[in-house]
Amino acid sequence: MTTCAIVAGIMPNVTEGCVADAKTGVRLATRSDESDLRDLTSLAVQGDRTAIESLLGQLRPMVVRYCRARLGRVSGHYHIADDVAQEVCIAVLAALPRYRDMGRPFASFVFGIASHKVADALRSSVRSAVPTQDLPDGPDQGPGPEETVVRYIEAEHARALLSRLPENQRELIILRVVSGLSAEETGNVLGMSPGAVRVAQHRALARLRAMADMESIA
Amino acid sequence: MLRTDAIIDALSRREPVGEHGDPAVSLLRALTDDVDQWLSSVSITPST
Repeated sequence: MTTCAIVAGIMPNVTEGCVADAKTGVRLATRSDESDLRDLTSLAVQGDRTAIESLLGQLRPMVVRYCRARLGRVSGHYHIADDVAQEVCIAVLAALPRYRDMGRPFASFVFGIASHKVADALRSSVRSAVPTQDLPDGPDQGPGPEETVVRYIEAEHARALLSRLPENQRELIILRVVSGLSAEETGNVLGMSPGAVRVAQHRALARLRAMADMESIA
Repeated sequence: MLRTDAIIDALSRREPVGEHGDPAVSLLRALTDDVDQWLSSVSITPST
């Protein structure tokens, strides 16, 4: 089976389902399940359809979160970020047959691709194209308008402060906090040692805290 | 630095942090809540 056929057969809609409920997807690989993930990746590389589906199920929520945190909302929606996340998952699947385990966590491979896709999206004019939302078939189970607005404002504030961090610190915080990568995995994505990640995240959090404090005083 | 690592780990697992007065933690929590939220009835087709 070709990769395209695999993609067409198993690639579900990125935004169907509850990202927040995908608790297994919050962290890609804790130390306890890293070997399981490595086995899963190995099977997926060999074309095992079940392994590919399972791998994708673990990856997708984290990739969606990463793209949402980096790209933000357009007209109040995450259409573009989710679209890019879908592209990342497809690109990962397409590249899977060429993946070779060189001892680095699979996350570094995935988020390397994600980082490039997000950069491409930021460079392009794709953000000007805003799809319209379908009319819902039933009652909206999401938060109410007031809660949505408050959350939106706070999240945008967080993005604004993050955008003022040095690029490496911003990427580090998003990978660690939003996507849920470990210090080791984040270090592999960014080319840093785990110790350097811990130092940088400490500085980044202190800087965020200082910026937020300054704004509250002003 | 160990405390920061524990905070970051708790945020990444969407667990309580216990730093209620920390504005940086509150903002990062707001961001994770926002990106985690459920979206329904949105049809996505990869861009070409």
